Amino acid sequence: MNLASIAVKNTRRNLFRTVLTVVGVAVAMLAFLLLRTVLSAWLVGVEYSAKDRVASRHKVTFVMWLPKRYVEDVRGLEGVKSVTWLNWFGAHVPGKESQFFANMATDPKSFLEVYDEISLPPEQRAHWLEDRRGAIVGSVIARQFGWKVGDKITLEGTIYPGLWEFNIDGVYTATRKSLDQSSFYFNWAYLNEAAAAPAKEQVGWIVTKVPDAAQAGAMVKRIDKLFDVRDTQTLSMSERALNTSFLGMISTLLKAMDIVSVVILLIMMLILGNTIAMGVRERTHEYGVLRAIGFKPAHLSVFVLGEASVTGFLGGLLGVGMALPLINQGVGRFMEENFSGLFPYFRVQQSDVVIALSLSVVLALLAAAIPAYQASKLHVTDALRRVG
Amino acid sequence: MSDASATRVSGGASGGASGGDGAAKSGFVSAAKGGSTAPTLIRLSKVGKTYYRGKEPIEVLKDLDLEMPEGAFEALMGPSGSGKSTLLNLIAGLDSVSRGTIHISGVDLTAMSEGARAKWRSQNVGFIFQTYNLLPVLTAAENVELPLLLTPLSSAQRKQRALIALRVVGLEDRAGHRPDQLSGGQAQRVAIARAIVTDPKIIVADEPTGDLDRHSADQILELLVKLNTELKKTIVMVTHDPVAAERASIVRRLDKGSLT
Repeated sequence: MNLASIAVKNTRRNLFRTVLTVVGVAVAMLAFLLLRTVLSAWLVGVEYSAKDRVASRHKVTFVMWLPKRYVEDVRGLEGVKSVTWLNWFGAHVPGKESQFFANMATDPKSFLEVYDEISLPPEQRAHWLEDRRGAIVGSVIARQFGWKVGDKITLEGTIYPGLWEFNIDGVYTATRKSLDQSSFYFNWAYLNEAAAAPAKEQVGWIVTKVPDAAQAGAMVKRIDKLFDVRDTQTLSMSERALNTSFLGMISTLLKAMDIVSVVILLIMMLILGNTIAMGVRERTHEYGVLRAIGFKPAHLSVFVLGEASVTGFLGGLLGVGMALPLINQGVGRFMEENFSGLFPYFRVQQSDVVIALSLSVVLALLAAAIPAYQASKLHVTDALRRVG
Repeated sequence: MSDASATRVSGGASGGASGGDGAAKSGFVSAAKGGSTAPTLIRLSKVGKTYYRGKEPIEVLKDLDLEMPEGAFEALMGPSGSGKSTLLNLIAGLDSVSRGTIHISGVDLTAMSEGARAKWRSQNVGFIFQTYNLLPVLTAAENVELPLLLTPLSSAQRKQRALIALRVVGLEDRAGHRPDQLSGGQAQRVAIARAIVTDPKIIVADEPTGDLDRHSADQILELLVKLNTELKKTIVMVTHDPVAAERASIVRRLDKGSLT
């Protein structure tokens, strides 16, 4: 027996209240982890962006096109490993307009060189390279729409109006999180063939791969300098910067979620603080007895803080225990399947688990600080006089 | 007020250090008068205690002079508000005096800081309360072991001493029981074991039989007499119960802060 074991045993003193408090902390931690996972899912695209890829778009806005010949100009620059281009297609499955997914036209050969994290069976890869109407789809939307290799599907264009027919040549997965598994890529030649001026021979953005990440900064400058004197200038940035600029549009929402998660933690602290303060008030007489037999004020603080940290940790542990299956197997799977464009990877991060467990203990200690101080300041004879 | 007002109770406990019953009978009287063969353990000189209710002073103890010999079993009696619990708290080092000095075994308690008094209490005083005050989540043995956590003893040594203390009070077989599995009398005996486990010189008991039926109260009183006579503990007991007071070797009465 020692002071710590007594603190642990004290949590059994009023078991019903302890259970309610632990569940309260657990629910708060579950909500906290859910919000953190939403934030992480938003940021995962930025966090895992490839560092050796540079994206170049029209200097004015990303909705304006660049001339296709720019691709060859970039390819001629020193230090370029490979170059590809993409056009935002903006189509949807007829009758399923609300089910958003990213769909883009690209050059299959160079695309697979630049995005080497795409994993595609060799026969599917070979088929796509030769099929003018071919498309590859991420495993998530393949599951979502029930598409299989060999299917013929139709998409309804918005930027490029009309009904477009495609052959599903492959279903890809990604070996890194830098590419989501919920996009639709098809042959740019098919788009360009059907496009009318001014969309003909135009690309949405150019992606350049450099031999190593250290050269990305220099490549950004080199590309923009190349087109500086042309009628259409470019704005180049690393893939991470590009993804961050997209997030800028929802930064207010992200901040609001951050604030909500802090509010949840504060509520948790108040619940814990209230429970601990009640316990200290009820045990005033007992603390008087302990002081009488020689325990010092610091010992009483250890009892109070120890009990609080045990309660907080148990709550945090239960919260994490509930969050992992609920988010990873339930909410997460639903989000990945139905909102794959927004949340391609919706899983609880290990770092968030560590943060949640640490916070549950740290906040419990903070919540118990005032009751612990009050317990340590009790006068022995006053405490002994108090009953209940 | 002098301590000459101490009353000998026939059939009470012995004078402890002075040995046998006969010696005790003569011993405590002479001790009370300052001429005992047993040395003085507790000496109060002009002790006063004043509390304040707002700005209004309330004098609880009035310039008390008192000597208690080593090995005595003293009962403090008096009506509610007479100051007996305050006197007990001062002797036990739980509270500080407003005036005067308290010496125990030659050590001046009134010169000590609160922290120093806490350490002194853990080594020299065992406490018995009316409502036992055992920790409900701990077993009897763990409750007894509690004061030993403040000592450098190993876990095994602490457990061994706790079991010895439980054996002294006849509850070794209840070592693994929690307080809610014990009767009132048994719980108070566990509290007594907790009071003696550090082998203190003095045991202070505040209404130790107040919550017990007559039979259990008698058992507790017999145990206190045994601690006094066999283990030579000096016992200071506050009680309202005349039957309990009869078991003491000296009875002192307080009224309105003075010994009568």
